[in-house]
Order: sequence, then C-alpha cells, then structure tokens
Amino acid sequence: MNIFENLKMAFSSIAANKMRSLLTMLGIIIGISAVITITTLGTTLRSTIKGAMASLGSNLMYVRLTERDVDNYYDSLEVEMNDEDFFTMEDIETLLDTYPGEFQIADETPVGNASLKNSKGKDVAINLVGAYDGTLTYNSYKLIAGRNLSMDDVKYKKHACLVSDIFVEQYFKEKEEPVGKTIKVTLSTGIVQEFNIVGVYKYNSLSNGMGDRRTMSTPVYIPDSVGKAITGIHGETQFMFMMFTYNVKYDAEQVKADMLKYFNSLYAGNKNWMPEVVSMEDQLKTIDMVINVVTIVVSVIAAISLIVGGVGVMNIMLVSVTERTREIGIRKALGAKKRTIKQQFVIEAIIICLIGGIIGILVGFLNGELAGVIANSVIKSNPDYADILGDVQIVPSVGAIIISILFSTLTGVFFGLYPASKAAKMNPIDALRYD
Amino acid sequence: MSKTVINMSNIIKRYYIGQPNELQILNGISLNIHEGEFVSIVGASGSGKSTLMNIIGALDKPTEGQYLLNDTDISKLSDKQLSDIRNKEIGFVFQTFNLIPRTTALKNVELPMLYAGVSKKDRTKRAKELLELVEMQDRSTHKPNELSGGQKQRVAIARAMANNPSIILADEPTGALDSKTGHLVMDIFHKLHKEEGKTIVLITHSPELAAETERIITISDGSVISDTGADVSVPGNTEVSA
Repeated sequence: MNIFENLKMAFSSIAANKMRSLLTMLGIIIGISAVITITTLGTTLRSTIKGAMASLGSNLMYVRLTERDVDNYYDSLEVEMNDEDFFTMEDIETLLDTYPGEFQIADETPVGNASLKNSKGKDVAINLVGAYDGTLTYNSYKLIAGRNLSMDDVKYKKHACLVSDIFVEQYFKEKEEPVGKTIKVTLSTGIVQEFNIVGVYKYNSLSNGMGDRRTMSTPVYIPDSVGKAITGIHGETQFMFMMFTYNVKYDAEQVKADMLKYFNSLYAGNKNWMPEVVSMEDQLKTIDMVINVVTIVVSVIAAISLIVGGVGVMNIMLVSVTERTREIGIRKALGAKKRTIKQQFVIEAIIICLIGGIIGILVGFLNGELAGVIANSVIKSNPDYADILGDVQIVPSVGAIIISILFSTLTGVFFGLYPASKAAKMNPIDALRYD
Repeated sequence: MSKTVINMSNIIKRYYIGQPNELQILNGISLNIHEGEFVSIVGASGSGKSTLMNIIGALDKPTEGQYLLNDTDISKLSDKQLSDIRNKEIGFVFQTFNLIPRTTALKNVELPMLYAGVSKKDRTKRAKELLELVEMQDRSTHKPNELSGGQKQRVAIARAMANNPSIILADEPTGALDSKTGHLVMDIFHKLHKEEGKTIVLITHSPELAAETERIITISDGSVISDTGADVSVPGNTEVSA
C-alpha cells in the first residue's frame, strides 16, 4: 500500500463530498489567509521603505551623546552638560576628512523669510535655509540641474545657493537657464544679499507641504556658514546631536562602525558621556520589530482559528469514519492492516487541511495584491510620493508560506489521528454488518 | 487424499465470557476440508454458521479449539498476521457483494493485490484477466452503482480470486439475487472449481443450492449434525456423522 494510492483515495473521497470538505476547510483557510496577508503586507512595507531609502541615493545616520551607564537615552538628559562635553564643527570636519566621501552633514538652520522681484515685477517668496552637503538628501529632494552645495562652499562662506524647480518657474522666464545666474534677495529684516545659483532641486511636498505652485514659498539653500553670518547667531558650534547622510555605495554597518570609532576615540577620556550612532538601518529594525509583533499577534489568532478548524476536521473525519464503517469492514476482510486503514484516514485529514492551507495562501496573496492596488492608486494620486516610493511591488513572505504549509499538515496529522485510529480499531465483523 | 486446507478440531466460540448472559455459539466443531473440494455449510439462521464462517475466514478467533489453515494455527496469530491470512489465503464473497463504492470494478479487483504489495502493472494485468474469467471485462471501468446485482457479484468473485487464495469463502452469494442470476453466479463457482481447481466453501441456508456441491456439512445449534463427506481421519467426526 503506497502513499500515492492513499493520496488518490483521499482525493476521490474529498471530491465525493465537495461542499462538506470546503466548509470543513473554512477554519484553516481563515487562519492561514490571515497570516499570509499580514506577512505579505509586512515584507512589502519593509521592501518599499528600503526601496525608498535606496531611491534617495543615500541613507541617514545620526550621532548623539548619551550618559554612560544609563540604559535609556532619554534618562540621560537630566544631567548637566559642560562645554567640554559637546563636540564641535571642527570635530565633525576632522571626521569628514578622516573618511573622505563617506559622510555628508544633514544639518540645516533656518535663516529667515525673504523675497525678490521677478522680471515682471512680481514678488517671489522664499525662505533661506543654512545647509550642508547632505541637507538636500536629508529632505528627500533630488538635484535636477547644476551641482549640490559642497563643504568648500561652507568652509569658504561662498554665496552659492540651491533653488527649487518651483522657484525657477516663479522667477525665471520660460526656457531661461537658472544655473549660473545671480539672485538678489531681501530678507524680512531688511538685509539684502546676493547668491549665485549653483543647482536646482525638485521640490516635493514630503518635507514641507503642498501649496499653489505659482505663489508658494520654497526653501533656498545657502551654506550654513553664510546663513550664520547673516543672522549673527554663532553659538551653534557646540553639538550633542548631528544628522549625517552617507553614500549608499558604502556598507551601512561599516559606515556606522567608522563613525562610532571616530567618536569613541573622541570621547575616550570623557567619564560621563559617550557617543551613540543610530542609522536608518536601525530604524528599519524598529519597523521590523513592529511588523514582527503584529505578525505574532495575528499568528496567535490564526493558531486559534487553526485549532477550531482542526476540531472541525476531526469532527468531519469522525462522521466520515462512521459513514464508511462498512467500507472499512470490507477493506479489513480483503486484508487491509490497521496501519493501512489509519494511514488512509490520516492522509485524508492532511489533504483536507493542506487544500485549506493552499486556498488560505492564495486568499492571502489576493489580499496582498488588493492592498498593493490600493496603495499604488494612493501613491499615484500624489506625484511626490510616486517619485520616492515608485510602484509598490507586493512581496510575499516565503517563510510564512512554508510555515503555513507545515502547520496545515501538522493540523491534519494531529486532528486526523484520533478518527483514523478509531477506524483502524474497528472489528471487521461488526463493521461488515454495519448498515 | 489431497492436502488438507482447513483442519478444525473441537472449535468452541463463546460470547460475553464471564457475564451472566454468556453465550456459546459453537459447541466443539471438528472438520477437515481438502484442497479442491466444493463444500457447502448449511444451517438455519441462528445455527452458528455465520460464526463458523467468520472463524474460517480469519475474521474472528475461536475461544477454544484449534484451527489450522494450511498448517498455520490461526488462534495464535496477531491482528497483523490475520490481516495477511485474509489477504492471501481467503477470498470472501458476500451476500451483499460489498464492493467499495465510487471505485471502478477494475480497482475493486485490484484492491487485495494493492494490500499485498503487488506492483501497479501486475495488478492491472491480473485484474483484467480475472474480470475476463467472470465475463465482466466490458464493465471494468464501471462503478458499483452502475452494475446490476449479478454483475456486482461477479466482480466480487473476481476480487476474491485476486491473490489466488487457498479457499473461496462465499456467504449466501446468491441470497440477494433472483434465481436466474443466482444460477449464473453458481455457474461461475462451478467453473472456478472445475477449471481452476479452487477450494470453495459455500455458506447457505438453501438445501437446493447446497445440493449442487460435492459435500454438505449441516450445522444446527452450534454443532455439525451431518457431513456427507465425513472424514474418518478427523477424531470426533465419526460420532456426529449421519
């Protein structure tokens, strides 16, 4: 008696009671589809976020000071800091020089609102922001013409600036080349400054909100050193927190290790404070943790559903065994061993659960695809999201599928065993006489 | 004399042992059946012939006494070994046919060979031959609900022959058939007996049917009351012969 024959028998018996078998599978289908839906959404969310991070061309990382021997970062803020506990711009510049090309500073400081008149004499509103080489990436903006601000611009206090595509539309005539032009801006404080446009970035609403493209005010990025010279605020040269972006061509763990190594050596002699480096990869881990918790909760609910479904399978198998008492008697008279009968009914239970599991996986897929269609239509309705997120690709979790198949099989074995042993233990004489 | 297939001595079967309603169905039956014999066991209902059939067919074990089937002591076998005996040594033919529902005639005939571990190819070949033997080759793909009573019984006989058993044990094989179809089925038994040399044990309550066989063993109240082919070599049989 081989498995293949048993499988054929199981399928023909399930096919003979299609409706009943389907209803029996319902609990399994609900349980498995719930798990597959949630894990598919989880893995899709994760890969979309990663994809968005990659599409920005760079990743974020920050360093912050935390008190030694304090587990929670937020507890350490209670302690008074001395001047020597902070790190300075010089320290950061040393870091950048130590690992050239690896890091960009993502810090920015508002300078103030300003305006200028275009060729038609109309006012164009902007807000001046002191920036570094990583500020643009940090704000999820992409450079579409010219070049980015460089650390040299900051160091030598060059009057260079980056303007948005919206500013270009508002200020310049059509088809006029903005890069290389000089703009003269008047701050709300009355100060007038001239800046040379070195690059144009594409504005999106993710960082600064939407408005009317013809009148809205967009940031104009100037070197932070220039901005500080304008505002006269020079105090911000001591830091306990700094945001960086790093080039994606470097390995995230390596970049993190480099930064930690530098700051650790800087704080080696500090008894109270130590640096902590957190990367977006770490943030992704937090997202993973949330996804995992949700997955576990749903899995527990699914497990309950599987148990209920399994009891249903056991119930229907008991009915099936009773219905087929005579058949069992015949089989025994023809020489079927206990083991053979048992195998037949266990396999039938497994097949019911497995079919339920597979239907559940398919339903889970469909749910995922549906969520994908909805997500994509939402994203498409806002071109700025579409820019960063692109087309959401549904990514099913292979692990969850394997585990689902495994668990449906186990449910079949567990809940099929009792009815199957009942069938196997039947006395052939009584079974043959059964009507 | 040819080989002894069934050797029963002093078989006793009791039910509800040790309880107030203890019941003794068989009161020490002894009989010998030889290879190639066509024997009928006759008795009114309640005479114990069904119980005797169950014991002959290895579906049940005697409470006392010894039953040797081809020199194997059945009463000492495990459940698994009894399954093997039923599979290879006994071919059952039932009154109600007992074909497996939703399964074709061919698959029904293949079933005992499936349990015996015969390969798919050999199973199908043998099953086709057997269906031809009972003239049912045209109906091999039909399911039991598409067959008449007589056709079902012929498929059942083919199935009983599947593993070439030592004995064909037929329990009222014509009981559910009209007399014409019943005769056709009996003809097949005669054919198997004459052409294949099969040992056939026919259990019936009908004296006419029994008269067709070579030897009639009559049972009443759990004892053999007559045996037309009484074998003097079996102790105990002499005193009960008519």
